[in-house]
Amino acid sequence: MSENLRPMGFWEKVSKLDRRWIYSAVAITVIIPLIWRIDFPVGITPEAKQLFDAVEALPDGSTVMLTFDYYASALPETEPASRAALHHLFRKNCKVVTMTTIPLGGPTISERVTRDMAKLYDKVYGIDYVNLGYKANYVAVLSGMGSSIEDIYPADNSGTKLADLPIIQNIKNYDDIDFIFVVADNAIVDYWISIVNAQYNTPVGASVTAVSAPKYYPLVTSGQMTGLLGGMKGAAEYEIMVGKEAAAVKGMSVQSLVHFLIILMVIMGNVGYFVSRKKKPQAA
Amino acid sequence: MSESLTLGSHLTIWIEAFVTLALFSFLYKDNPIYKFIEHVFAGLSAGYYAGLIGQSVIYPQLLDPLYSDFGGNWILLIPFGFGMMMLTRLTPIGPIPDLSWMSRWGLAITIGSTAGIFLISQLHGLVMPQTLDTFASFGRAGNTVEFAMAILTLVGVISTLVYFYFSKEHVGVIGRVAKVGIWFIMVAFGAQFGYTVMGRVSLLIGRMTFLIDKWIVGSMGSMFN
Amino acid sequence: MKRTVPIILAIGSGAILAIVFFLNPDFKLLFGVTSDNIKQEVLKWVTIVSGFTLILGVVSIFRVNMKAFQQKKTDRWYKMVTIVSLLAMAIPGVFPGPATEIGKTLYTYLPDWIGVYGSQNGIIVSWLFDHLDAPMMATMFATLAFYIASAAYRAFRARTLEATLLLAAALIVMFWRVPMGEAVLNAMSPDLPEWINTILMRGVNASVQRGIIIGAALGAASMSLRIILGIERIYLGKT
Repeated sequence: MSENLRPMGFWEKVSKLDRRWIYSAVAITVIIPLIWRIDFPVGITPEAKQLFDAVEALPDGSTVMLTFDYYASALPETEPASRAALHHLFRKNCKVVTMTTIPLGGPTISERVTRDMAKLYDKVYGIDYVNLGYKANYVAVLSGMGSSIEDIYPADNSGTKLADLPIIQNIKNYDDIDFIFVVADNAIVDYWISIVNAQYNTPVGASVTAVSAPKYYPLVTSGQMTGLLGGMKGAAEYEIMVGKEAAAVKGMSVQSLVHFLIILMVIMGNVGYFVSRKKKPQAA
Repeated sequence: MSESLTLGSHLTIWIEAFVTLALFSFLYKDNPIYKFIEHVFAGLSAGYYAGLIGQSVIYPQLLDPLYSDFGGNWILLIPFGFGMMMLTRLTPIGPIPDLSWMSRWGLAITIGSTAGIFLISQLHGLVMPQTLDTFASFGRAGNTVEFAMAILTLVGVISTLVYFYFSKEHVGVIGRVAKVGIWFIMVAFGAQFGYTVMGRVSLLIGRMTFLIDKWIVGSMGSMFN
Repeated sequence: MKRTVPIILAIGSGAILAIVFFLNPDFKLLFGVTSDNIKQEVLKWVTIVSGFTLILGVVSIFRVNMKAFQQKKTDRWYKMVTIVSLLAMAIPGVFPGPATEIGKTLYTYLPDWIGVYGSQNGIIVSWLFDHLDAPMMATMFATLAFYIASAAYRAFRARTLEATLLLAAALIVMFWRVPMGEAVLNAMSPDLPEWINTILMRGVNASVQRGIIIGAALGAASMSLRIILGIERIYLGKT
């Protein structure tokens, strides 16, 4: 009882801070650098460089499959990567085939982003790029495209027969695709590697959300995956390498400050914990 | 940017800002506006699936081929039949008795074929190359650092596998290796946690960027200028 | 009929897809049909049948909410909100696009604007998704940033050696992975960021993730084998 009545010390108060104070601190730390931007140089990791170099090494006019394997919930991490990739691919006059394994929003996002980017480079739908859209059961889709894309996708995202699209005339299956650039927010990358790369030898590079990035390091070190972008930082790295700094680079200063705040909070929480743990035996 | 906004764009931005703030309001406490938006979200998402199934399966994979060349595509009636059988899950409805057992046929094909692909791809595409690389990295090592990394990787892989091997009690040698495994796992999970924080913060940055750049600066800014 | 046929279908489809991996794609089996033809046909069927599960989901959501509304529960009007939103997205969405074969015929009888506004790529569905559904989904996940910060503050304690390792690795990654932290590390030693990447991410992290990948893949493969051999039948449900 007397323990409860004892006035709380500073560190005890700190360790019992109401969650709303923490939420407010996070919100303020995000808002301030969005208004007053502080820029720091973004370092390029070897995994990101590997992906960029692989795309850069493709001959002009190569065929690249770009996937939109992400939900709208992950847009801030993934859309900048898709846009940076499209800058790179369209600039190199690559033929771009887009598709998605995500049912909720995948086709709409891929349609919006691809058409938006194509306008910047005067690319024509059906000739320079095509959006295949979504088909159910990604394991079957990935496996089936190995023999024939048209078997799985008889029509594109708008319902136009694939046979009527000039771009598809020279693309039958993975053999005709020079590189697969996966942008994903889930474990689909596993299947792009274990089914497509392993069985059809098409090189696969990926941009994934930060949450899943650590999982794919062994696939990079084994050489199964050609480069990896992790989260918004990875997208920022690609934006810089492509020379089109946009949303991801802008987000990096905010990301820095919030990380520093969380690190500070973890340290304070631990100091508070150890101080109050030391005090407890004395009080008793 | 702000000058060129039409009335429709303003309205769109304000609606988007409203739903964003309504959902953030849950951080303070649960409230009716949050609940309303939450139910709109559930409905819209389910509705999206309804359209998607039409555009990605029913029209391109079934109706279009059957409509344009029935003779050449009649075989599609078989998967169509299996698909319809999946819908027997919804029975009994009115006079239709419980036929839900029929849904197992379609389900069995889906599960079976996925298993067939998985059996090969998991072994051929993941287990074999990952195991081989663990040892091949010794051969690739060109200097002391790379060789040390190869040893580190081997120890990490083996101790992690041992830690997750629960068929044998973790005592003696297995216990000690599992102990090393847990140290490795803790470091890896810590790194993963760091990345997770990064991911979650990125998502918040996305919404806040919208609120500040598009709503406050873009829409509100152009109104008061 | 209720159990035997699905087991045969699962074994058959699974065995076909596992076996064709080892065959030459042009290997002729019967009547000039190649192993690749069979594989492709099965996969095509699977994508179609799997699509129907989505219909099942949508109808179930509609039914559950309708039932709750009819039962006059306290939150019945919220259920109606879900139903109205579902229909607002679904009705324009199910119209065929003007490029589909069915659409080409349909829009000779119906006005063209239905195709423009309706269908998955139509204005209504795109607007509802881009400006309502997507921001809602993004915001719901964005709130996790607050929760994870609060959780890190409250629960991330260096109580034991293992917890300290976890905490130290998390703090290093959080510091290293952002430009400001990277700048500090660079000032300390230009090789430091690269070393963290090499030892922590490509070394310790990659080795553990590799162990997990190998373990999980072995588990998935053995479960697949059990299904193909007909030992695993949990997908049949009860009775």
